[in-house]
Amino acid sequence: MSAATQPAPAATRTDPYAPKGLALTLESTGAILLALIWVLPLAYAVWAAFHPAEYTTRFVLTAPLTLDNFTRAWAAAPFARYFLNTFILVTLILAFQIVLGTLAAYALARQDFWGRDVAFVLILAQLMIMPDALIVENYRTLAKVNLIDTIPAIALPYIASAFGIFLLRQTFKTVPKELDDAARVEGASPLQVLMKVYVPLAKPTYVAYGLVSVSYHWNNFLWPLLVTNSVESRPLTVGLQVFSSADQGIDWAVICAATLMTSAPLLVGFLLFQRQFVQSFMRAGIK
Amino acid sequence: MDRREFLGGTAALAGATALPGIARAQGATELSFFYPVAVGGPITKLIDAYAAGFEKENPSIKLKPIYAGTYQETIVKALTAHKSGTPPVLSVLLSTDMYTLIDEEAIVPFDDFIKTDEDKKWLSSFFPGFMENSQTGGKTWGIPFQRSTVVLYWNKELFKEAGLDPERPPKTWAEQLEFAQKLTKRDAAGNVTQWGIQIPSSGFPYWLFQGLSTQAGAILANPAGDKTDYANPGVVEALQYWVDLAQKHKVHPPGIVEWGTTPRDFFERKVAMMWTTTGNLTNVRANAKFPFGVAVLPAGKKPGSPTGGGNFYLSKKATKAEQEAAFKFVRWITTPERAAQWSAETGYVAVTPASYETEAMKKYVADFPQALVARDQLPSAVAELSTHENQRVTKALNDGLQAALTGTKTPQKAMEDAQAEAERILKAYR
Repeated sequence: MSAATQPAPAATRTDPYAPKGLALTLESTGAILLALIWVLPLAYAVWAAFHPAEYTTRFVLTAPLTLDNFTRAWAAAPFARYFLNTFILVTLILAFQIVLGTLAAYALARQDFWGRDVAFVLILAQLMIMPDALIVENYRTLAKVNLIDTIPAIALPYIASAFGIFLLRQTFKTVPKELDDAARVEGASPLQVLMKVYVPLAKPTYVAYGLVSVSYHWNNFLWPLLVTNSVESRPLTVGLQVFSSADQGIDWAVICAATLMTSAPLLVGFLLFQRQFVQSFMRAGIK
Repeated sequence: MDRREFLGGTAALAGATALPGIARAQGATELSFFYPVAVGGPITKLIDAYAAGFEKENPSIKLKPIYAGTYQETIVKALTAHKSGTPPVLSVLLSTDMYTLIDEEAIVPFDDFIKTDEDKKWLSSFFPGFMENSQTGGKTWGIPFQRSTVVLYWNKELFKEAGLDPERPPKTWAEQLEFAQKLTKRDAAGNVTQWGIQIPSSGFPYWLFQGLSTQAGAILANPAGDKTDYANPGVVEALQYWVDLAQKHKVHPPGIVEWGTTPRDFFERKVAMMWTTTGNLTNVRANAKFPFGVAVLPAGKKPGSPTGGGNFYLSKKATKAEQEAAFKFVRWITTPERAAQWSAETGYVAVTPASYETEAMKKYVADFPQALVARDQLPSAVAELSTHENQRVTKALNDGLQAALTGTKTPQKAMEDAQAEAERILKAYR
């Protein structure tokens, strides 16, 4: 911060658009403020989770630390099973989304066939439909094929993702046609062209899309709640419900412990791969 | 984000022939049963045990409890399943959802199953206070089960500190205010360290407010569920009393008081008296580290409190055999002995007077006399506010109450606005 008021020659020379002087101070302060606001609820959750319930709303630095809240949260519901279910669920969805999305996007971006534009517009139209409007119809469909209360039932409505197809199509469109042609001249089949030319070049898009998809489905609540009935198929979010029984009062310490516990894999994943995520978001142009 | 109805085409083809398969097994009648509690809660173990006990006595019926979360989530799940053609045969949903369920044609009345004299005796064995919310148009649509009412909890230690008789709760509105004034403590800077009283106002303020309005002699809605009386002078007076506790006398926290954390404030001695549900009895008993008392709510012009909680409902789309089996289970679980056991283990009110005469209940209340308060209050209890379009009509009242409590509207204006809004919604139902 102190360096901000003085001109920093090395940095300014390399990037003429970088903010300097007052602008830099303002921007940094703003960024730090936003980061603080963002991290506060999380910091509170950590505080509440690691201290006994008496200290939930009292900030005494010498308060004893405890893991008791985590033990109690873990014992309150079959969380091991819920973790497994959620893991299977997000993997299943992402795997199908990538396979279907890649094939569809390739066809829409590079193949010429009758009705291609109509198909693309139809897919785009789905982006405009509120997912909650389809709940009853989706439920009816799954009931007819006898899939209610299974993990595939949670996954099925999501595996052909319009968003994913759109995103990949746009990325494939930016791949120079010359690379495609060169591969063909070498005798590659359309599938080989896709796997050897397009997919490697779209890697940042896959990473960014994967993150969005995994975090969305990790946190999804309403649809899994409606379509599942038993412990064997319910994901974490539905399991967390056990702490929301307002009739009996709310125990913040246990809720915070459970929340940290269930979001830990996502948080750790994000911290580990933070750089890759940010870069792929920038390259893929998702905002 | 993204969504797609992937199987639409396939299912449309298969549609006509496919059976609503999930709830069917060979030979035995399988009963799906939605229960508004999350998996892992202590109540699930009780319900599982009841289901096992019932199956043992009735081997031809398989009962499958499905734990669906909160009441709100359970009704969303039940109505979705109903609209898709595969609803649960039996469900426990809020008693106030009765009109909604009737309007959706989701439930059948119990009257068709009442055949013998014994059945009739059973139907009339419930507390009348609970039946008010279960009957309309001369038919019984719900059977009370997980029911509760609002009571006052007080901290005996803090009463003693304030020079009050620790065994004597406030009996009238005036006493309640007087006690609360004595119980409110301020530090040197004038900040309150201990509040006299707390009446929660988040989420469903109308329910607690109904205690006040009943005590002021007003009834919020008619039994047909198509007309409200929010702008009644008694209602305004009740709201004025509540607002004054916070804004004029400053013995009640200002603004909105959180429902979920009120018991915790009570445990931490941040508040000396609280209004909350009898469903909290077991929780308070387990967590309060001081002697506490439970009392009927103080009287205004008269005593009064709303009832609350859940009823059994029978699905209209279930087969006759499934409905019969479900009815059998409802009768089985509401016998006096089981209702007594249920009440002792959860703190919910036992639904029939007869269950208070059972051995199990007598043993429980000898040990924990506070449990009797809910029953004693029932004669003056009224039906929880419930109308057609219940969610929207109660929301109009909730918004008005919160506006008055936060000081953005006067009680008079807030209730007039709420009444106008409710009137607009309900006009279509008369």
